[in-house]
Amino acid sequence: MSDHLVESYDKQLELINSNLVKMGGLVEQQVKDSLKALDEKDTEFAEEILKKDDKIDNLEKDIYALAYKIIAMRQPMANDLRTVVSALSIANDLERMGDHATNVAKRVANVKVSMPSQSISKIVQMGDDVQKMIKNVLDAFIKMSEKKALNVWDSDIDIDETYLEIYRELLQTMADNPDTINGCAHLLTIAKNIERIGDYAQNIAEDIHFIVTGETLERKSDNAGQWEDVDIKT
Amino acid sequence: MEKKIKVCVKNLNVYYGEKQALFDVCMDINQNEITALIGPSGCGKSTFLRCLNRMNDVIDICKVEGSIKIDGEDIYNDEVRVEKLRERVGMVFQKPNPFPKSIFENVAYGPRIHGLAKDKNELEEIVYSSLKKAAIFDEVKDRLDETGTSLSGGQQQRLCIARAISVNPDVILMDEPCSALDPIATAKIEALMEELKKEYTIIIVTHSMQQAARVSSKTGFFHLGNLIEVNDTETIFSTPANEKTLEYVTGRFG
Repeated sequence: MSDHLVESYDKQLELINSNLVKMGGLVEQQVKDSLKALDEKDTEFAEEILKKDDKIDNLEKDIYALAYKIIAMRQPMANDLRTVVSALSIANDLERMGDHATNVAKRVANVKVSMPSQSISKIVQMGDDVQKMIKNVLDAFIKMSEKKALNVWDSDIDIDETYLEIYRELLQTMADNPDTINGCAHLLTIAKNIERIGDYAQNIAEDIHFIVTGETLERKSDNAGQWEDVDIKT
Repeated sequence: MEKKIKVCVKNLNVYYGEKQALFDVCMDINQNEITALIGPSGCGKSTFLRCLNRMNDVIDICKVEGSIKIDGEDIYNDEVRVEKLRERVGMVFQKPNPFPKSIFENVAYGPRIHGLAKDKNELEEIVYSSLKKAAIFDEVKDRLDETGTSLSGGQQQRLCIARAISVNPDVILMDEPCSALDPIATAKIEALMEELKKEYTIIIVTHSMQQAARVSSKTGFFHLGNLIEVNDTETIFSTPANEKTLEYVTGRFG
């Protein structure tokens, strides 16, 4: 599509998009670092991660201010309007992803060496998959590719399944050895945090689909309603 | 509920001498709706509007081909009397143009020449109700003898709308009716249009896309004499089918 007649309008829209990409990059790094801290049980490194969350929060504020300004002053239409409105939603999702990454980092100190290493490595593996989702969703955003966005959307199902496996395993571990309850509860929360990050990446994929097509994505997860009580062997 | 088609335009081609201004335009216009026509200057939207009450007849070099039916009747049929047609299809112009007469006479003029009132009382009745429908009665009721030109721009435009509806038309054509008005006067005209569409079919040419988006149910986009796209207004301003429409509504060309 051609440029706007008013060049400064294009620049504002470019700025909103580049800020989102910058924010996405920071979130990607925070998730990566929090998983590294968890994997290596490195509490000092985890402390560093907490300090960096402000940058993400500030970018969200900048994007909100700019989107508000564009709506007030340019009255965007059609795909421009969708870009600006979706930027608010994407910025909010990225900010929440950042918070979940810091939540993971916060709990690193609680994860003792005696924790079931199998579950930890599974959590880290799930984290790797979530990182791929973030990377792919940012790529879909930069290229404004509906197809890539749909691929990201679909990949969340795997994350949800892994999360369920981890959940079952940790419950079994706690049932087998009540001494692990404290630590496993932390691990459960960590796993949930990472699973939620995947959900937000999925939200962003929906926003990209909306920007490109003007239609809300009507899809349902195949595994919806799969939550049933875990059968714990005692 | 299926909307009734008030105006049916088929294969409309319009020429000013050698120059073709409209190309094969086909468009159905629903009754009791507001239809907006948008597009850059010179795109043919005003030419299209002026065909609907044969305003182009006065231009010697103008040639109109195709068919325009209002309520199923071809308005370019030889038997159609133009003055009768303009009674049915009223027009409001860009610049308010009241006659240099009193406010009362501005509105009384049409009903009088068309013989719509049998006595003074009936004429008064028509003038008052037209001024009321045009939402200007309360502002002018104590000064009906003053000249129409003494009113503010927005009031003059509403007086012109009262004048247009005084002869009891079916269709009201508006050619950029708010472009000479401030935002408050514009808002009053837009609110008035909302009311008027209950009784009339309104077709408005506007350069303000926000105005088209605010007031109309359907929007047609013209470009270089072609009707590029016509659809529900919401679709035109959110997900138009045509790339040119998208570029125009988002301010990428115009």
